[in-house]
Amino acid sequence: MIPLAWYLALSAVLFTIGAAGVLIKRNAIAMFMCIELMLNSVNLTFVAFSSFFRDVSGQLIVFIVMTVAAAEAAVGLGIIIAIFRNRESLDVDDASILKL
Amino acid sequence: MNFHLALQTVPSIINPDINFALIAPELIISVVAVVVMMVDAFTRRADQRWVTGGISLLGLGAAAATVVWLWTGGAGATQSAFNGMVVLDKMRLSFTLIFLLISALTILISMIWIEWERLPAGEFHSLLLFATVGMMLMASGGDLVILFLGLELLSIATYVMAGFRRTDLRSNESSMKYFILGSFSSAFLLYGIALVYGATATDRGVPGTTNIREIAERLDTAVYPQLLFVGAAMLMIGFGFKVATAPFHVWTPDVYEGAPTPVTAFMAAGPKAAGFASFMRVFIFGFPFVATAASTGALAHTAWLNALVVLTILTMTVGNVVALVQSNVKRMLAYSSIAHAGYAMVGFVAAGATPDEAQRNEAIAAVIFYMLTYAVMNLGAFTVVTMIARNNDRRTAIEDYNGIGFEAPTLAFALSLFLLSMVGVPLTGGFMGKIMVFRSALNQGYVVLVVIGVLNTAVSVYYYLRLIVAMFFRERTTLWSAPRLSASIAVALAITIFGVLYLGVFPGQVLDALRTTRPTISQLINR
Repeated sequence: MIPLAWYLALSAVLFTIGAAGVLIKRNAIAMFMCIELMLNSVNLTFVAFSSFFRDVSGQLIVFIVMTVAAAEAAVGLGIIIAIFRNRESLDVDDASILKL
Repeated sequence: MNFHLALQTVPSIINPDINFALIAPELIISVVAVVVMMVDAFTRRADQRWVTGGISLLGLGAAAATVVWLWTGGAGATQSAFNGMVVLDKMRLSFTLIFLLISALTILISMIWIEWERLPAGEFHSLLLFATVGMMLMASGGDLVILFLGLELLSIATYVMAGFRRTDLRSNESSMKYFILGSFSSAFLLYGIALVYGATATDRGVPGTTNIREIAERLDTAVYPQLLFVGAAMLMIGFGFKVATAPFHVWTPDVYEGAPTPVTAFMAAGPKAAGFASFMRVFIFGFPFVATAASTGALAHTAWLNALVVLTILTMTVGNVVALVQSNVKRMLAYSSIAHAGYAMVGFVAAGATPDEAQRNEAIAAVIFYMLTYAVMNLGAFTVVTMIARNNDRRTAIEDYNGIGFEAPTLAFALSLFLLSMVGVPLTGGFMGKIMVFRSALNQGYVVLVVIGVLNTAVSVYYYLRLIVAMFFRERTTLWSAPRLSASIAVALAITIFGVLYLGVFPGQVLDALRTTRPTISQLINR
């Protein structure tokens, strides 16, 4: 059996890749996909713990998280479409009317 | 024989512990939000905003009545329901009342804006109500999962509201930045929940938990204390983003500036208060003060408290110093909202630091009182900013306020009152709020924190007064006519002005209601 620590390490690596992607990527869709990667790495953590403890609640939380991520995806893509219609660009560096 | 053995190993089914009375306010608002959406489809465009706005206000009133009923012991002695998923305490109920007030005021402020911009009223009102349900769940959740759900419900509705003027690039940009950074921080929060869930397993084979009370009980028996620390740090980052504490505040000015003004008013008051409700519940009750010095629980408590002290100092200082150089009113108020989050965190630190229950309740009451006064004066200020900005958010620079003092005296004097209250001038709500949080911090010996807080208040005088000076002592260079006050704006202004003065002059009643133990406020002044 693969020890718990491996799963945790894998999900930590995935989470880091996702977080780094959000900071490095400049395309709104790519950033959004990186956020999804972060959420899924958390799901992996929950499932790993849940299976290790023989406790079902961790897997139930994953269902809730998946639902939330789906709702977030719907809204996020809507926002991205709205901004693309007005600007014809998905590069977040172009979104600079409001100064940083 | 085998059958008997099997029965013993199958875990017993837990009674779901359903209690609808405890979630009655949330249920009412959810139902009203759906009703508003339906009614909207069957109403003529011209009547929409009054019909849906009226229904929303009625729903908020009904929910407030239920909260008062719960407050006066309507649900009996029950402390929690749904197996600890929802709790019933004064902290939850008082935060819920603040959220309902914020929503009602936002509806009043947004009436005229919906007309100017020709926006779909029903959609806006039902989104606002769903956001309110999210905030209420953030205050009432006794379990990290419910807090996360509430936070997402709030955030998703607010992302849409920020981008509500979808043909406007500023609104688009604000919405996208809020969405990306908001989901980014939610992921951190969720990872924190996952790690805490894993870390709170005990060596006797008991699985981990996400229930806040059980987390507190298991701190010292946690098998993986390191995971617990990382998890708590992730939770702090997640909540830090939501309440806009200093290193995690970068999204705030852009989002607040670009969002439509009534939505900014809502975002600065509502989600911030909701963030504090969850933040305090998780850290004060989930990682509480532990008497024995060497245990894991005590280490976790010291660690988060020290981290929070650093965040508080940074938040107050960054918010106030950067606000000094802003030329846009909405941006300035955004940095001011960061600074106010910092002041409220002073009370939060005090509440976390004390082992004494009475003093802890006092400090929590101080933070709640601060969030109430901030909500009132912030919504009041944004009412005036909405009226000055007009449609398309045209006039939001500080120069646009030059010389309006005597042309629109009601607006100008009201805005001056709210700004003075934000400074913390005596006889205003802001003053009492600051006194309360600073006093609870002094009681716990955080002198440095209070000194930095007071110095920051002195700095903040400059940029608040700059706007007042612009309104009354500068000449107007461009043609400008004073906006006519609509009925809903007049009501919103009346409520907020009354609120600021009432909380400033007679805070005793509200404070007494918030805390369980006396000394009354009159004793505080005599001391």
